[in-house]
Amino acid sequence: MGILSKDQSAPKSQAELLYEAQVRKERRFRINVAITWGILLLVLVLLFSGPIKIDKEFIKNNMLFIAGGLWQTILISVLSILLAILLALLAALGRLSSFPPLYAVSTFYVSLIRGTPLYLQIFFFFLALPQLGINLPGLWAGVLALGLNYGAYMSEIFRAGLASVGKGQREAAMALGMTPGQTMKRVILPQALRFAIPPVGNEFIAMTKDSALVSATGFVHELMWRATKVGRAQFHNLEALIMAAIFYWIVTLILTFVQNKIEAHLSKGDR
Amino acid sequence: MPPIVSISKLDKYFGRLHVLKNISLEIPEKQVVCLIGRSGSGKSTLLRCINFLEEPSYGTVEVDGLAVHSGGKDKSYHQQIHAVRLKTGMVFQEFNLFPHMSVLENVIEGPITVKGMNKDQAIALAEKNLEHVGLLFKKDEYPMRLSGGQKQRVAIARALTMEPRVMLFDEPTSALDPELIGEVLTVMKQVADEGMTMVVVTHEMGFAHDVADRVIVMAEGELIEDGEPDAIFNHSTDPRTKALVERRPVDEGRKKK
Repeated sequence: MGILSKDQSAPKSQAELLYEAQVRKERRFRINVAITWGILLLVLVLLFSGPIKIDKEFIKNNMLFIAGGLWQTILISVLSILLAILLALLAALGRLSSFPPLYAVSTFYVSLIRGTPLYLQIFFFFLALPQLGINLPGLWAGVLALGLNYGAYMSEIFRAGLASVGKGQREAAMALGMTPGQTMKRVILPQALRFAIPPVGNEFIAMTKDSALVSATGFVHELMWRATKVGRAQFHNLEALIMAAIFYWIVTLILTFVQNKIEAHLSKGDR
Repeated sequence: MPPIVSISKLDKYFGRLHVLKNISLEIPEKQVVCLIGRSGSGKSTLLRCINFLEEPSYGTVEVDGLAVHSGGKDKSYHQQIHAVRLKTGMVFQEFNLFPHMSVLENVIEGPITVKGMNKDQAIALAEKNLEHVGLLFKKDEYPMRLSGGQKQRVAIARALTMEPRVMLFDEPTSALDPELIGEVLTVMKQVADEGMTMVVVTHEMGFAHDVADRVIVMAEGELIEDGEPDAIFNHSTDPRTKALVERRPVDEGRKKK
């Protein structure tokens, strides 16, 4: 019984047979998962081409307009994540500081931001600041709100990264005569950042989707804003939102793919 | 000849625990001193007080003519500690190589970052020392790919490349598999033979007996005996010392971690 390999001349050891069985099992699992994904996707496509009426003409006419928001979505996400990384790093370092004001500023910032909704923060920068005479361009207000918000959450990631570097590393650096600054820059941070890259990637993916919240203010013409604009105007919200969803999904798939590649690369051998 | 390391009236507390009790000790240049004692006797803490990885609670540590009185707060105190660390090299039980740097990068890091040496000069010096510990052929490997014994030999080369006046070894073989201990002790003996002043905290009684010029026995935060290896190993009357040197306590340090 069982599956015989083509080359029957050399009998296989038990270990080899077990290993092959394991590989086959894993492959079968992956194939079944892929097939099920395909079926689910097909069901969605069939639903929208038959029972659920959608206006293909509308899609054709507005595809380019909505796709035009991709650039803004990506731009706002990239700028926001850069700001968030900077803030998260500073907050994490502040959290480790033995200087009370720095520690206080760091914990205060994280507490305030985590204690209020992101939606509120976004409106604050768009709508509340102008009352004080501060008018930020739409994109920058969005970047500021998202960056501040994600920075607070991501500070935990960097804190864990810094904590993951053993005490012996700091001692070895100090014994060599490094100053605390050199120790941080040359020894602790490179190791902590390596630890932090995969979770920061996750945050970036989450952020590209949260950037949709910025559309609510009406000042940044990214994917979501464009979808709701044409959807409402022509009462084709269904089609418009489906298009936006597809774009977000594609961007997320691409980013997840890149993320997996980076993660695989980092976990590989020589660190 | 004036001593190169001089410790006077040193006390160290961890919280309420009095781990070093009024220690005074002078080490002449080129002497190889082994500190032995049971776990918790304070020997590692004393060693770490020499380069201020532990700050003494009270007392003075003097290295190569630079005296540092404990408890300073100002900038000059930190500069003094920095200067002391430049005069001392340290080798740790857990090696503590930098995992994100290759072997060569580990060794040139100190000279370049701390001393501002130019890269070519640092590489030449590092390669000389790696050759010395027999690991030049591993210079482009990352620490993860080395055995424990190789890691520790790289750590020794890293410390030597800073050209210290005194080398401090904190249980350098306690984290090693038994078959790898020999290669590290051989390198240490070689460093000793070249005239380096060494302070070695160890459970390796063989090394203490054969290589040390002087053996100091610690118990409960005090120096209970201090003498030539022969006197400590063969003629001691102190029951604590006898208990220590009679068994083969190779494994004791390893159990600690």
